[in-house]
Amino acid sequence: MKKVFALLLTLTLCVGLLSACGGTKTETPASSGSSGSSSAAGSVYYLNFKPEQDEAWQNLAKAYTEETGVPVTVVTAASGTYEQTLMSEIAKSTPPTLFQVNGPVGLANWKDYCLDLTGTDVLGQLTSDGFALKDGDATLGIAYVIESYGIIANKTLLAKAGYSVDDIKSFADLKKVAEDITARKDELGFAAFSSAGMDGSSDWRFKTHLANLPIYFEYQADGIGTTDAIKGTYLDNYKAIFDLYINNSTCDPAALAGKTGDDSRNEFLAGEAVFFQNGSWEYGNLVGEGKPFTDDDLQMIPIYVGAGDEAKQGLCTGTENYWCVNNSAKEEDIQATLDFMNWCVTSETGTKAMANDMGFVIPFKAAQESPNLFVKQDAAYTAEGKMPVSWNFPTMPSENWKNEVGNALTAYAAGTGSWDAVVTAFVDGWASEYAALNG
Amino acid sequence: MEKKRTLRDNILSGILGILCIAWVYPIFMILFNSLKKETSISTGSAFQLPNSESFAGLANYVNALTSKGFLSALWYSLVITISSVVLILICCSMCAWFITRVNSKVSKALYYLFVFSMVVPFQMLMFTLSATADRLHLSSPYTICIIYLGFGAGLAVFMFCGFMKSIPITIEEAAMIDGCNPIQTFFLVVLPILKPTLISVGILETMWLWNDYLLPYLVLDRTKGYMTIPILIQYFRGSFGKVEMGPMMASIMMNIIPIIIVYLLCQKHIIKGVAAGAVKG
Amino acid sequence: MEKAIKRYWPVFVLPTLAAFIIGFVWPFIQGLYLSFCKFITIDKASFNGLKNYIFALTEADFLHAFWFTALFTVVSTVCINVAALAIALALTREIKGTNLFRSVYFMPNLIGGIVLGYIWNILLNCALTLMGKPLLSLHAPYGFIGLVILMCWQQIGYMMIIYIAGLQSIPNDYLEAARIDGATESQILWKVKLPNLMPSITICLFLSLTNGFKLFDQNLALTNGDPAHKTEMLALNIYQTFYGRSGPQWKGYGQAKAVLFCILVVAIGLIQLKATRSKEVQQ
Repeated sequence: MKKVFALLLTLTLCVGLLSACGGTKTETPASSGSSGSSSAAGSVYYLNFKPEQDEAWQNLAKAYTEETGVPVTVVTAASGTYEQTLMSEIAKSTPPTLFQVNGPVGLANWKDYCLDLTGTDVLGQLTSDGFALKDGDATLGIAYVIESYGIIANKTLLAKAGYSVDDIKSFADLKKVAEDITARKDELGFAAFSSAGMDGSSDWRFKTHLANLPIYFEYQADGIGTTDAIKGTYLDNYKAIFDLYINNSTCDPAALAGKTGDDSRNEFLAGEAVFFQNGSWEYGNLVGEGKPFTDDDLQMIPIYVGAGDEAKQGLCTGTENYWCVNNSAKEEDIQATLDFMNWCVTSETGTKAMANDMGFVIPFKAAQESPNLFVKQDAAYTAEGKMPVSWNFPTMPSENWKNEVGNALTAYAAGTGSWDAVVTAFVDGWASEYAALNG
Repeated sequence: MEKKRTLRDNILSGILGILCIAWVYPIFMILFNSLKKETSISTGSAFQLPNSESFAGLANYVNALTSKGFLSALWYSLVITISSVVLILICCSMCAWFITRVNSKVSKALYYLFVFSMVVPFQMLMFTLSATADRLHLSSPYTICIIYLGFGAGLAVFMFCGFMKSIPITIEEAAMIDGCNPIQTFFLVVLPILKPTLISVGILETMWLWNDYLLPYLVLDRTKGYMTIPILIQYFRGSFGKVEMGPMMASIMMNIIPIIIVYLLCQKHIIKGVAAGAVKG
Repeated sequence: MEKAIKRYWPVFVLPTLAAFIIGFVWPFIQGLYLSFCKFITIDKASFNGLKNYIFALTEADFLHAFWFTALFTVVSTVCINVAALAIALALTREIKGTNLFRSVYFMPNLIGGIVLGYIWNILLNCALTLMGKPLLSLHAPYGFIGLVILMCWQQIGYMMIIYIAGLQSIPNDYLEAARIDGATESQILWKVKLPNLMPSITICLFLSLTNGFKLFDQNLALTNGDPAHKTEMLALNIYQTFYGRSGPQWKGYGQAKAVLFCILVVAIGLIQLKATRSKEVQQ
């Protein structure tokens, strides 16, 4: 009797446990049921990089599902954790079908997972072949957003100081204006440049974006697009512009290391500084409801470093956001993903959402005009015949290289390190990182 | 002599009081910063109280509650914590009773295995565990408790065993002779005696589960939007280094407040539980 | 009775055991195996021999993380335990406000590591800015001090509770006897209280040792290893190797590091077990 009872109890317990598992099991088909019913059409799982655009992507995904019935899941990785998230997601039973890499260096790590996009509709929509990311003959990634950065100038403050943006046509002009403002800092009540933000919140503005300029001019001079040994021909120009930034900012150079990117932005917003080096993505943080600026107040000007033909220099325009399709996804999911991408960049809803809600300029034929002021200014510069400075930092050897340069820059700004250390990190670090990468 | 004593004690009280203020200050600081306007929050002004210009009322809280799905994260956090703690308490106490009362090589081996699992760091398992959870579809907040039962069993079994050894076996034997089967004996006789231990283990596990970050971060299925509060807080950082400080501090406060309320309500149990747990652990 | 219980093993042991196998045993064995492999997903693992271990043991960042962790653990263990013991001694003197103090000191323990990290990040960065010093994430020594302060703030309360329990369990007769014999306060402390407190001290020492070695959340949220991995501790280093670097070789390296880390922590645990055991025998 006892034995029977024990057996019964065991059974109920097992059933209980199983039903706990069963709970998931019924849930899984239910959730994949929606995809199951349209399994011929597959489903899309997009791992999004930009937290700011999460909501817009979610809405766009919903709109697509309503229109076509194909389920689209958008997951956004928290800032600074994209690689980690992608790494852990790609190992799961339902990996992302659509993810992104930042350029050639990022692609090198993920190319085994990237589908060759040659011959796909979405590739045909690109306005220029230059926006495709290639590995040999295969096209593994396509850029989906073009961004610009430069020096954002507060025109109102500049006028107060007695200048206009038209007075700044070269590095010499910029230096003159900035140093004049610094000389009259107390009288004017504002400084030339907002403070730096050398920690992780905005160090990329200097170790990556600003460092792009000497690299760009060196590539231009040597007629190359990438290198495993940088010479550092234009590092003096890099030093000149960085010196200009730190010696004419809102605070003492030594105190720069105590400021974050948010501080820097807030200073600019509060009218404490005329210039703020940043990009088109900052538009939403500067202009709009509750923000102090209107389109008339701001102008993005090129970062002049005193190299190349400055009369023809435009903004730094490029991308480090490339879409890649996961080649290990199911056949039907791959097809669904390609259809989704194509829809995003060709349909009325898709292009509108990307232009208005996300504020993107997309390098596709059906692109709509973005309301983003800086993007418009970039187009205006190009129309005037200026040459945009391309983004070469995707060819930087590694994150480690950027960090070393950043550390050296911080030490230099604080006065605890020399410029030589920056040069060493830049030139020698480049070579050793490339060697480590390929060795 | 007596007078000198009290003077010294008063000085001591004073010192400890000042220390107390230092202890509460960080939380207080987050509280008043969370009431400031976004643009008024800067690195250097975190110690300044909000003034009429920078005061933003509860705007940050509204923002935090509405923009990133705070409520659903709170719900998932609650579900995960409660279901896992209940499951761990019931299953592990049963298992521990079996291990202490059955004297065989298998039960001894089991015991040592559990103790071993207690010290193994999570990094050792993080990848394989999340892969296993994914494969067995245990990656929802409603089923992750099975993972937690497995991973958290070590500590619970160890603590239960420690206490159960001190329970006299005669009571149980008497119950059995009276015709109870082992299950009745366990639930009617052993479990009531075990109540203080259940509370201590429950508290320790709750403290761990409510604050756990990496396990749910790796295991939970992102595609369905499952998030716990510690994971959510990370989402206030933007891709270009912009941190939404206001809403972030508001959600930090909303994470802390329930903990403090629970703490104030059952402080005695918590402190006792921790002391007991530590002595055994 | 034993037999009766034994027959019911599926009820008592099976649920926990099943979950334990899913949640610990199987992943552990798989993890051990994978530490000898090159892999990105488990089913595509290829055997790699000892390469992963060789890499892990020669990587500068990992070794740096080890020394950083060891130094941090020692410093924080000393700070926490000295402070906690001092507070516990003060709080057992039955002075005014004892209960309030105890509650307040213990409170930070209930707050999670990630949240704590963010709180202290804001606080310490503000203090550093006001002093005109570089931020936490730009200067490794500050990151280190920040971590120590954070750990102290969190752990002192916990250890204090254990010390108080230990102090209260010392029989009053001992203290009385010592006083009658004319011992001074400091003699009582060193000759009576501390020796009787040894079990609590061992527990606290090992708790703070393992806590220090396993520290992850706080490290992630406070400095995230910046600048340039200089404040990265072992657990975070493993995590970053595993998930932060792409490329098929890194996961194997990460898993090998995890095994080494595991051995280290288990070794500490074993020493602890032995230490507490021998104490028990003495009593």
